[in-house]
Formats: sequence, C-alpha cells, structure tokens
Amino acid sequence: MIKILLEKELRDIVSSTKFAITFGAAAILVILSFYVGIRNYEESTREFEAARAVNASNVASLTDWRQVQHKVFRKPQPLQVLVSGVTNDIGRTTEVRPHGELTLINSRYNVDPLFAVFRFLDLNFVVIIVFSLFAILFGYDAINGEKESGTLKLILSNSVSRADVVLSKLLGSFLALVVPLLVPILIGCLMLIGFGVPMSGTDWVQLALVIGGGLLCFGVFLMLSIMISASVTRSSASFLFSLVIWIFSVLIIPKGAVLVAAQAVDVPSLDGVEAQKRKFTLGQFDQRFQKMGEFLRADITRDETWSQRFVAFQDSLNKAYEKEREEYYRKLNEDWRNKKDHQEQWAFALSRLSPTAVFQIAAMNLANTDVSLKHRYLEDLNRYQDEYAEFLRKKTGSSGGMQIVMRFSGQQGAQEEERKSLNPTELPEFAERGRTLGETISASFADLGLLALLNILFFVGAFVRFLRFDVR
Amino acid sequence: MKQQPIIEAEGLTKVYEDGHCALDHVSFGVQPGEVFCLLGGNGAGKTTTINIFLGFLPQTEGTAKIHGVDMHADPLEAKKHVAYLSDVVMLYPNFTARQNLDFFARLGGKRNLTKEQYYSVLRQVGLQEMAFEQKLKGFSKGMRQKVGLAIAIIKEAPAIILDEPTSGLDPKAANEFQSMILHLRSQGRAILMSTHDIFRAKEVADTVGIMNDGKMLTIKSRKELEHEDLEKLYLNYIHGKVAA
Repeated sequence: MIKILLEKELRDIVSSTKFAITFGAAAILVILSFYVGIRNYEESTREFEAARAVNASNVASLTDWRQVQHKVFRKPQPLQVLVSGVTNDIGRTTEVRPHGELTLINSRYNVDPLFAVFRFLDLNFVVIIVFSLFAILFGYDAINGEKESGTLKLILSNSVSRADVVLSKLLGSFLALVVPLLVPILIGCLMLIGFGVPMSGTDWVQLALVIGGGLLCFGVFLMLSIMISASVTRSSASFLFSLVIWIFSVLIIPKGAVLVAAQAVDVPSLDGVEAQKRKFTLGQFDQRFQKMGEFLRADITRDETWSQRFVAFQDSLNKAYEKEREEYYRKLNEDWRNKKDHQEQWAFALSRLSPTAVFQIAAMNLANTDVSLKHRYLEDLNRYQDEYAEFLRKKTGSSGGMQIVMRFSGQQGAQEEERKSLNPTELPEFAERGRTLGETISASFADLGLLALLNILFFVGAFVRFLRFDVR
Repeated sequence: MKQQPIIEAEGLTKVYEDGHCALDHVSFGVQPGEVFCLLGGNGAGKTTTINIFLGFLPQTEGTAKIHGVDMHADPLEAKKHVAYLSDVVMLYPNFTARQNLDFFARLGGKRNLTKEQYYSVLRQVGLQEMAFEQKLKGFSKGMRQKVGLAIAIIKEAPAIILDEPTSGLDPKAANEFQSMILHLRSQGRAILMSTHDIFRAKEVADTVGIMNDGKMLTIKSRKELEHEDLEKLYLNYIHGKVAA
C-alpha cells in the first residue's frame, strides 16, 4: 500500500506547476552558485599567482636580505568556491618580518566593497535561503491541504493505515524534492571538474558532506512544515506558522544570538588592544634609543671589531625587547582571544536554535572557512615567521628587527655584496598546514548530528501528529 | 424475508469531550439494493454518523458495522467493503481523470486494471471521452463529482456512503447523479446517503431517516412515504409537532 501512496506523492509533487517554478529557480541558483564560485576561485588564484610573482621580482631586485619586505599570500582553497564563510572577510596578504606581530591585510571585501554589501552567491546561501523556503512551500499544506481538498478522507476511507499515509507523505515529499535537487548539484560538481578546479580526494569528501548537510537542513524544514501541517487545520495558518519559523531561523535567531552574546560577554575592542600595544612599543622604542646612545658613548673605540660589537649589542637588545614585547602582546592577545572565544561560544550555542545556523556552522567547518580560519592561518604564519627569522639569521648573521647598518668605506667585500641579486627561491616556502579530514569531520560532526536529530525529531513529530489528526 | 444489512448502526452515540451529544442512540440498517437517505439540517448528526461509519471518529456507544464488520474493532477490514464520496471532491488537480481513478482503484485493492476498464467506468458515470486524459484542474464541480463517483464504483464495494453528494451541483448534473445512484442500487449496492435536499431524497430513497439534534426521529420506507408529503412530515418532526 505504501508503494502506491509513495508513487502518488512523487507524481503529485513533480507534476505540479509549483514544483516546475520552484525547482527551476533552485536549479538555476545552484548552478549559478557553482559558476560564480568557480569564477571567483579562478580570479583569486590569478591574483595569488600575480602577487607571488611580484613579490619574487621585488626580492630579486634587491641585493641584501635585510632590505627584503617579504610578503606571504593566502592561497585560495577550492572549497571556498561553495562555502565562502569568513574567507572574504579576512586579509589575504601578510608582510612577514622576522619578529613582531603579523597582520592580515587586503581582504576580498576590503578590495571589492560592493561584494561586502551584497555578498557572494554560494551554495551555503542557496541552501539556507532557497532550499529551506523550497521545503516550506511543499510541506506547509502536505496534510491539511489534502484535508481541504477532500482527498485525505477519500484515501482513509480505503483499507489504508494512517501510518502508511504519513510515512509515504514524509518519504515521498523528501524523495520528490531531494532527488531533483541533486541534479543541478551534480551538474555543479561536473563544472568543478570541467573548469579544472583542483579538487583533491579530501575536498570531494568534504563537498559530499556539505551537500549531505544541505539536504539534512532541507529535510529539517520539510519535516517541520509537514508536522505543522498535521497540527493546524487550515493550510493558510500552517503557511503563516512555517513562514514565521523560517524568518526566525534564517534572519532573527542567528543575528539575535550574536547580539545576545555581545551583551552577555564583554570583549575589549581591537582598537583598544592595539592602542595598548602601541603605547608599550613606543615605551620600548625610547628605552632602546637611550641604551644605544649609552653604548655609542661608552664604546668609542672604532677598531675593526667595533661593527661586529655594535651588531651583537643591537641583537641582544632586540632579543630582549622582542621577548618582552612578544610576551606582552601574547598576554594581551590571549586575553582578548579567550574573551572572544567565550563570546563566540555563546553566539554559536544560541544560534544553534536555528537549523540554518547549524548548517552554516557545519558547512563552514567542512569547507575550513569557519571563524577559526584566521586564527589557524595566523598560527601557521607564526610558525613560518620563526622559520623565516632563522633563514635571515643564516643569511645575514642577524636575527633581524630594528637595526642601524653602518658601513665604512674600504670595507672588504661590501661592493661585491651589492652587486649580487637575491634569489627569491631561497626563501623558505610557506605552506598552510590546514586541518586533516579527520579534524574537519570531527569539527562538523556535532552539527551534522544535530541536523539529523532534528530530522528524526520532526519526522516523529509529524508522524504522531498525523495519527491524531482530525480528518473530518 | 429481510437480508442481513450491509450498513448497520446500533445504538450509535457520540458525546464529545465538552459534553455535547452529537448522536443519541441512532439505529438503522441498509439492505443490499437499498438507498437509505439521512435527512436533516445542519448539526442533525448526518455527517457524524457517516464519519463513524468511515472510522474517522470513534463512537461513544453502540456499533457501526459494514458488511458485518465492526468499524471500530477492525477498521482496515471494514473499509474493504465500503466506498465513499464526499461533497468536497477536489481530487488531485495535477492528475488526469484516469490517473485519479487509477490511484484510488489501486488503493481500493483493484490492481492491474486496463486503460479500457478505467474508460468504461468513466463512460458509465457520464464523463465526456475527451476529459478522460485531461487534468482535473480545469474540471467543473459536476465533472469532478462524476470522477468521484467513478472512484466509488470501481472499488466494487457492497456498501457506498455518499455525504451530501448533490450539494453544489446544477440541476442537470444532480439529475444525472441521481440516475447513477439508482443504477448502483439496481446492482445490489447498499447506499447510505446524507442530504438536506428533501426533493432529492424523495426521488431516490428507498428509506428515509429524519434526523435532528443527533436523534433519529423517524425512519420511513418509500411505501410509507407514498401517501405522505415528505416536506411537511420533515418540518413537523423538526418542529416537534410529531412525537419521535
């Protein structure tokens, strides 16, 4: 019996004008999101390669490693095509110095502010806005709509159990809508291959999980709206309820969670933290000049080893101040980061009341474009900074930092050194460590599990509500 | 000698949670080849009776049997023997008349019917040939009612329950519908029909049960009604001029 009902459900949905229009719109948006993402990725990759080439050329034009202003560029990742997350908000360029705090500049939104206003069309957006609406449009009258048209009584006047009817309704609606949605997604995947986006095996697994998460999110809204349809007599009322829940889920809860978290956990502003750092650095700067003056006044013998003594003095001074400053910055940053983490935990916990926010968090974790991307990237940069400082030490004999370079005429080898151009390939290669597949999956596991749980919960809710539904 | 009724109500009572008594010990039986009309105004208890017979509503007391099977005790078995047609027959607007018929026929246990068999039933109810493969979204109420009747016929159930089937139909369509009911009666089906249309009841019914406030005030056979004005009788019962 369930087969007959399931067939009817599939045919009824797929043959409707509502399906043709909404599926057409969803399909176009899915394909468009892949296309826009691929074009963005291509453009970002071009910019990345060009910036690296300019950096290499700048290095090659110099003759002294101490003059190098070494820049590192964040490499575009293929999955950012579909779930941009925070990737466009954080800087893509960093000037790496052997010491000191590293900052990310030139974010995509900073360079193209228009996109900051309207944001990019990505799969994340399509799932959150379009798929969820799509689900509501088909679920809101699934039960009470049949009651209004008299078909529910006609079905139940036959030897059919209510369990069969509601199971076929829930499964049929899900299958009738999900299978067609997989078609444009599949086309999008083929586009990734066709346009030569370098997707690794891990990327494909992560993408499959993002798509799975999107379908779970879709399922939550479908089951929820069917449950509402089985709880409310009139379809116009269930549409209103479903729409209100959608508005809360998509617009109000995520934004409200951030506002509530901001009120609940006080985090000092970044400007305030920066001002504290500047004040500390300026204090060190004055002290340093005083000590250098003292050295110059005390060590007045300008013999052959004076230059080396001066460099050694500066090195030890730099090391001491650098250590002190790094310790101070680290403490400030750690304090700020702890408070910020606490605030974010609050915001994320509250936002998880919304299924779309749960999906968004899961998808960003799967695409590695979540809010910790900047933190992870800076950790990689800090590791690289040590590597770079060591490289400079080997090349120049100095640990870098603020130095006064003094040369005396007639010094051996000075002219010879000026003539030699630097070889940029000698620079240590920066590589993002990123997360392993296991780490990525475990970061999103709880949210995917929550979406699955919500599906089950609303499925059971719809089932139970229908068993008690007044068909009269 | 009277046969065993196909549709049988015995002491059927329905009291809602708020204490409202919608049905008060209603008893009647519908024999094969008999059209039994439940006549009454709004709130008389006609639809409540039908809802209990279709298993949509549990009764508080009494029994409702279809073909000897208690609807409350074994609804899935009882429903095998009954076909139903309501006043709201929207059906599936994106399906054609034949597709609608096919779905409900298979639901009613009629599998593997040929297209010609479906067409034959649609012809039987008087639907135009060109409408067989047309989607229902463009159908008039009369046309949809014909498809609904075809659904009831194709199940070949011994009992047919019709809830205000001629409500909203134009006189021509109502007349055609009446002919179909009489045809089904001639096939030996037991037909229970609720209506507030006295004229239609008199035309089609073998037995009329007049209901008011959940009570079955009287049951009159066609023979008994031959010499009575049904309208006057109905109004007298409703206004309490005749003791129930």
